[in-house]
Amino acid sequence: MKIIVAIKQVPERDARIRIDSAGKWIALDEIEFRMNESDAYALEEALLLKEAHGGEVVVLSAGPERVGQTIREALAKGADRGIHIASDKLGEYDALGVARLMAAAIADEQADLILTGLQSDDLGLGQTGVILAELLGIPHSSLILKIEKTEAGIRVLRELEDGWFQHIEMTTPALLTIQSGNTRLRYATLMGIKKARSKELRVVEADAISVDAARCVSLDSVALPSRQKTTQMLTGTPAEAAAALVEKLQQEVRVL
Amino acid sequence: MPVVSPIFAACWLPGLTLAEPVHFSLVEKLLLAALIAASGWLFWRRFGVIARRILAARKDADFHLFPLGRRCWDFFWEVLCQAKVIRERPLPGLAHAFVFWSFLAFALVTANHVATGFGVGFLDPGGFFGRLYFLIAAIFALACAVSIAGLFVRRFVVRPVWLAHKDKTVSWESGVIAGLIFLLMATYLGAYFVPDGSLAVRLLWWAHTLTLLSFLPLVPHTKHLHLILSPVTVFLSRGGFSEIPPLADDDDFGLVTGKDVTQLTALQVYSCVECGRCTEHCPAANTGKELNPREIILGLRGYLNEFGPASEESLLGRWNSQQAAFQCTTCGSCEFQCPVGIEHLPVIVGLRRGAVNTGEWEDEHGGKLFLALERSGNALGMAHSEREKFMAREELPMFDGSQEYCLWLGCMGGYDPKGREIIRSFVEVMRYLGTSYGVMRREKCTGDPARRLGNDLVFQQLAEANLETLAQNKVKKIVSICPHCVRTISEDWKAYGTPPEIEHHSEFLARHQARLPKSAASQTGQTGQTVFHDPCYLGRYRNVYEEPRAIVRAHGDLVEAERSRERSFCCGAGGGLAFLGEEQGARVSETRVEQLVATGATTIGAACPFCNTMFRDALASRGEGAPQLLDIAQIAAAALPTSVKESDSLNMQEERREEK
Ligand code: SF4
Ligand code: SF4
Repeated sequence: MKIIVAIKQVPERDARIRIDSAGKWIALDEIEFRMNESDAYALEEALLLKEAHGGEVVVLSAGPERVGQTIREALAKGADRGIHIASDKLGEYDALGVARLMAAAIADEQADLILTGLQSDDLGLGQTGVILAELLGIPHSSLILKIEKTEAGIRVLRELEDGWFQHIEMTTPALLTIQSGNTRLRYATLMGIKKARSKELRVVEADAISVDAARCVSLDSVALPSRQKTTQMLTGTPAEAAAALVEKLQQEVRVL
Repeated sequence: MPVVSPIFAACWLPGLTLAEPVHFSLVEKLLLAALIAASGWLFWRRFGVIARRILAARKDADFHLFPLGRRCWDFFWEVLCQAKVIRERPLPGLAHAFVFWSFLAFALVTANHVATGFGVGFLDPGGFFGRLYFLIAAIFALACAVSIAGLFVRRFVVRPVWLAHKDKTVSWESGVIAGLIFLLMATYLGAYFVPDGSLAVRLLWWAHTLTLLSFLPLVPHTKHLHLILSPVTVFLSRGGFSEIPPLADDDDFGLVTGKDVTQLTALQVYSCVECGRCTEHCPAANTGKELNPREIILGLRGYLNEFGPASEESLLGRWNSQQAAFQCTTCGSCEFQCPVGIEHLPVIVGLRRGAVNTGEWEDEHGGKLFLALERSGNALGMAHSEREKFMAREELPMFDGSQEYCLWLGCMGGYDPKGREIIRSFVEVMRYLGTSYGVMRREKCTGDPARRLGNDLVFQQLAEANLETLAQNKVKKIVSICPHCVRTISEDWKAYGTPPEIEHHSEFLARHQARLPKSAASQTGQTGQTVFHDPCYLGRYRNVYEEPRAIVRAHGDLVEAERSRERSFCCGAGGGLAFLGEEQGARVSETRVEQLVATGATTIGAACPFCNTMFRDALASRGEGAPQLLDIAQIAAAALPTSVKESDSLNMQEERREEK
């Protein structure tokens, strides 16, 4: 089974976020980057499938040079080779544009399965994977918790709302977007890092790929969430005030 | 010289002359030569194999003979003076020392004994020096005979549990060896009581010779191999306590197979005398876990005997188990106690490195810990912002290069509620003293749990990131409330750079003791006594015992637990174990709390945030009447005048307002 895992490098969870001077994105200096969390789970699923059924795991990522580090990390955890779509201005593409770049970069790969995380920790659109499946003309399914290989293809467990789940049988090739938290992630090892050094990492310049870069979604401005302290007086009889307080704790503060 | 003069005088007593046979026939000489050759051959047949095995192991890449002074001192103190042997087990230790010293005294006697057989004896029993020397040897022989008889009784009649093997048997060879040593001494002393020239003299001489020649081949076949190896082992030991050697090259991941065992390690495992001191002090072995440090060493010996040092067979398997290797708290008791210079921690951490660096070790909690360190840079896996909120709340100033100290919060001080209380108290003291300090925003875990669990990748990443931040901030001095941070920064980081000077807050507090208010026990509400628990990483690892005690004494009555100072019993948190799951057997923390409570103290004084959390949990399960638990910083801060504390913080608020 040949599996491609698309991963994204995102600012670390607790980064101290500032808005850049243009007001269109966050300032990226002084920020540390990590592998997007649900992508880490997608990678883990791919590695488990490879360990069980053999095959190859290829990681795919787009972005500036620093993205190479995240690809190396994936190689260290057990992926076999990497593809880096190099671009210093990936921010100029929208999800459709990025998906087009990716589709072009893996056009010759003939993968059986493409996995991505459910959504990115920074933009949280949840679009790129699904669009990629459309561009490649293969079936997709999102919010996947578990993948089993079957005679005919695969059987996956999909999370629905409210504690409901769905089993789906699919043929391959297919694209799945993976939900976080269902498996135990492996830790990076020294041996893995050393082996990763000799693994193939193919760099594809984004500029060399001719895709339609016209945006259909554009980002006007970003802002930090504002935090305000407000005081509300609960009036009425003690019983009413208590009832109102319970209601607020349940509905607004959600601590009860 | 009151002792020596009677010996001199006694030399001239007519009865006190050693009888030696003269005129050995040619047949006797040939027989003697043949017996010596046979004995030597039997000795070498085994010893040669072991020596070759040790030499065939991988070279220690980081070995250097310097500093020679330290090596000579260790040799003098631990080998010649038998200091370690005696210190922990005074009576049997002294008995052992007498046997050892007699062997030294007998070197000359034995050489002369054999030479006599060939007619070239060089010590004249009638001459002054001969008489004197033989008499001194006789005194040692007497002490040795008594000692060995005592040791025999101890091993086979008293039977301390630590001497027994895994299967609870006691080695019978030890009995045979003890018998031979006794016989050696008896046949020597006997020569004082037989008339010169009699047949008895000749028979005694032959009996002594035969005993000697049967003893020799037994040495390499039994644990008495330590007679030959341990002086070398002590002299060549790595020297640093719990020193984890650097990885030699790109293919070195720690102790994975026989190929990774180095010459020093091989030498050490063959030197083990199976005395069980390590096991006696091991918190894991004492609480019903599989880990037993002696069996780790003997397991490695078994491996080398079966597979040899070139084998690709995994070291964790038949001879040593992964489970045992990961039960070690790295408390260091075993290494500290071992009388023959065996360094357990490089072996145990080495086995862990082998399992973690290759990804063999799969453990839910361990994996989570490593991911937390990889992703969040702290062992608790908490958000960085939590630490910053705490810093803001406590109004901790940022380190900007102008202050004297960088206050290292550590994972516990930055994120753990109890650890934060310790920081708060320590900061109060520093404010009272007017010490300037600051905190670094980008501090990460020192990597201690990763280091001890054998994850070189995460450890290196954390050490390098921290060293860079410290250099950027131009930090010269660090003070920390955590002995694990202190050790890891001051010693383990050296593999990746030059760490700034660092001290533990107990050292800081003790130095400023004179300027801090003392308190009568009653003032601080501390009635009753305080027992101080020595953290492993402060005591055995850093040799700091007096400083924290000085602080406790200034504020109350100090009592000692039965196991204290260098014999202190671990709290169970070290070696990354605080982050792993449930323990096998009894909890180490509860066992230790039991020992501390037994002193009757009403306060437990701690000096490590890890000990603190472990004890807090263990005390909670004891319910009402359990002693209170305080860090030394809290003890010192409690004596600060309340008005000072308040006005101080008021002043600071004023200042801040003015700045704005
Ligand atoms: S390792 Fe050291 S302390 Fe332990 S049994 Fe062997 S000689 Fe004794
Ligand atoms: S370091 Fe401590 S826990 Fe580990 S084996 Fe030695 S005595 Fe036991």
